[in-house]
Amino acid sequence: MTDEIVRAEALRKTFTLSRKQQKIERTSERRKVAVDGLSFSVHSGEIYGLLGPNGAGKTTTLRMLSTLISPDAGDATVAGHSIVHEPQAVRDHIGFMTGELKLEGFFTPDYLFDFFGALHGVERETLALRKRELFSRFGIDKFAEVRVQDLSTGMRQKVSLVIAIVHDPEVVIFDEPTNGLDVLTAKVVTDFLLELRRMGKSVLLSTHIFSLVEKLCDRVGIIVDGRMVQDGTLAAVCGQQTLEERFFALYEELKGEVV
Amino acid sequence: MKLLAIAKKEFARFFRDRRMVISMLIPGLLIFILYSVMGSALWDEEEHYQFRVYLSGESLATEQITSLAAASDWSVEYLPAEDIAAAEAAVEEGEATALVVFSPGFDEAVLAYDGGTAGATVEIVYNSSAEDSFAFYTLASNVLSNYRQAFYVLPSDRADETSLFSSLLGDVLPFLIVTLLFSSAMSITLESIAGEKERGTLATILVTPIKRSHLAFGKVLPLAGISLIGAISSFLGVMFSMPKLVGMSLSGLVGGYGFVSYLLLFLLILSIVPVIVSAIAAVSTSARSVKEASGYTSVLMIVVMLLSIVTGFVGEMGPWVYFVPILNAVAGMQAVLYMSISLWQALAAVAVNLVFSVLLVFLIARMLSSERIMFGK
Ligand SMILES: Nc1ncnc2c1ncn2[C@@H]1O[C@H](COP(=O)(O)OP(=O)(O)OP(=O)(O)O)[C@@H](O)[C@H]1O
Ligand SMILES: [Mg+2]
Repeated sequence: MTDEIVRAEALRKTFTLSRKQQKIERTSERRKVAVDGLSFSVHSGEIYGLLGPNGAGKTTTLRMLSTLISPDAGDATVAGHSIVHEPQAVRDHIGFMTGELKLEGFFTPDYLFDFFGALHGVERETLALRKRELFSRFGIDKFAEVRVQDLSTGMRQKVSLVIAIVHDPEVVIFDEPTNGLDVLTAKVVTDFLLELRRMGKSVLLSTHIFSLVEKLCDRVGIIVDGRMVQDGTLAAVCGQQTLEERFFALYEELKGEVV
Repeated sequence: MKLLAIAKKEFARFFRDRRMVISMLIPGLLIFILYSVMGSALWDEEEHYQFRVYLSGESLATEQITSLAAASDWSVEYLPAEDIAAAEAAVEEGEATALVVFSPGFDEAVLAYDGGTAGATVEIVYNSSAEDSFAFYTLASNVLSNYRQAFYVLPSDRADETSLFSSLLGDVLPFLIVTLLFSSAMSITLESIAGEKERGTLATILVTPIKRSHLAFGKVLPLAGISLIGAISSFLGVMFSMPKLVGMSLSGLVGGYGFVSYLLLFLLILSIVPVIVSAIAAVSTSARSVKEASGYTSVLMIVVMLLSIVTGFVGEMGPWVYFVPILNAVAGMQAVLYMSISLWQALAAVAVNLVFSVLLVFLIARMLSSERIMFGK
């Protein structure tokens, strides 16, 4: 067992575009290669950031890794399980978070924790223990019996985060962690991710925000048009430049070649 | 275990929400109130006519009129008409029900009648715009036209009360039940599947390692159970108000059916529920939004309603009807109510519906695993 907890090998995903999408993308092609032979790995215990502009294929990549969609070619292993051959096992070992995943507002954090615990097949006693620990650690115990719909955005975000790790996954995959959140709520999320690293978890996140990568990530992979342009530790990728300068330099280089 | 967790959540969502429970029970209550009010408006006024009839001349026919009236709980009081003109005025003004004038020697003339010119006349003065006056006229002319004829026509309607009203029940009830089931299943199923999909809470469940088929069954089974509660409430509303609507007692209405009939009826109704719920669930799963889903569902509703009234128009249908979902249960219910069902037909209908529902649930499971349907743009 290497310390590569996630290992993506030549992942590829193509979508068939609808007429409307063709117009939006200004293309007459019916097929769109969203992820084009992407390889990278996440080491155990680190925070790895996928950095890229809109449409780079970040969401598509993370969805493949969390087995919501399947790749056309290539494969990846998550905690030793293939996303192509053992999607069910992969789901046991990951917590997947995005802004699009919501909790039913009618129920309380307490109820939802137990509900998702059951869906992950967590034993009842283990679940109760974990609930007590996580709820007090993230200050949820104060509003554990309040319906999610009556909570503030920050509280709700905490609940979502805690529920994503109800089954104590080794890997947490997080698409655009701070997208659309105000500074306070964003801090809740970044603190949570740092806390996860302290707990020994591995985190894979995607973002287009340079400062987030600089603040959180041990290593970063820059992707453009579904391809890995460069990856490595922050220091190795940036050299003397800031991440932003480095990104635009790379981008120009790449687009210069293409034209 | 995971299936159970999903099912428990569905029940919790419903039973912990007082508004949802109330809105599920309200249609039954409304039906009961509405039908009862309609029923009493229809039937109450006709009770207890007390005819006051001026009589001139005499005939034994008057006694026959009295006894026929008594059969309907009506009473007749004859008053001697000393002044014909005054009696006519009394009828016009509504002070008397009618005026009957027998020609002198009416009964003898009728007896002696041999087919030549009629020697006897009877004149009835009444007011057709007054309900009681008209009722009396109908009654009296009925008696008189049969009075002392050489022969009697003896109509003998062998329909007992049950089968008379079973035709009413048989045609209306299945349609009513299917419609009620559909409407109680519609809102909760749309909400639970298309709603959860639209709000992104279904995606949160899809990230967990639950089998898609377990998720589909875990949704459809409780939804079917809850729809059944709504449908039972509506059904009770119908059953308790129907007697008032048609003016007879509940036991007179349904007392003719035995235990087996009820059991078959119940099984048939039960078998429609999962068909309807899984059909709505399937279109809800495929739809991108609640709005789109309710559009599809109204089309579905038309199809289902057509299936439930078509038996009324098409007379004899072959045994194939028992293999068409919903139609089979409607035809089955009618056959039960007309007391002409065979056990195998009922069981075939139930089995076909169950198999059809299970197939739909697997279709839903397929859709839940389809990335185009769940995560397409
Ligand atoms: N389900 C889909 N059907 C068709 N095209 C899709 C689908 N999902 C993504 N795409 C296309 O694939 C490309 C990559 O999309 P993706 O969402 O992975 O990008 P992203 O890096 O997450 O961008 P963003 O920063 O906007 O979230 C885009 O051009 C997008 O339009
Ligand atoms: Mg994205």
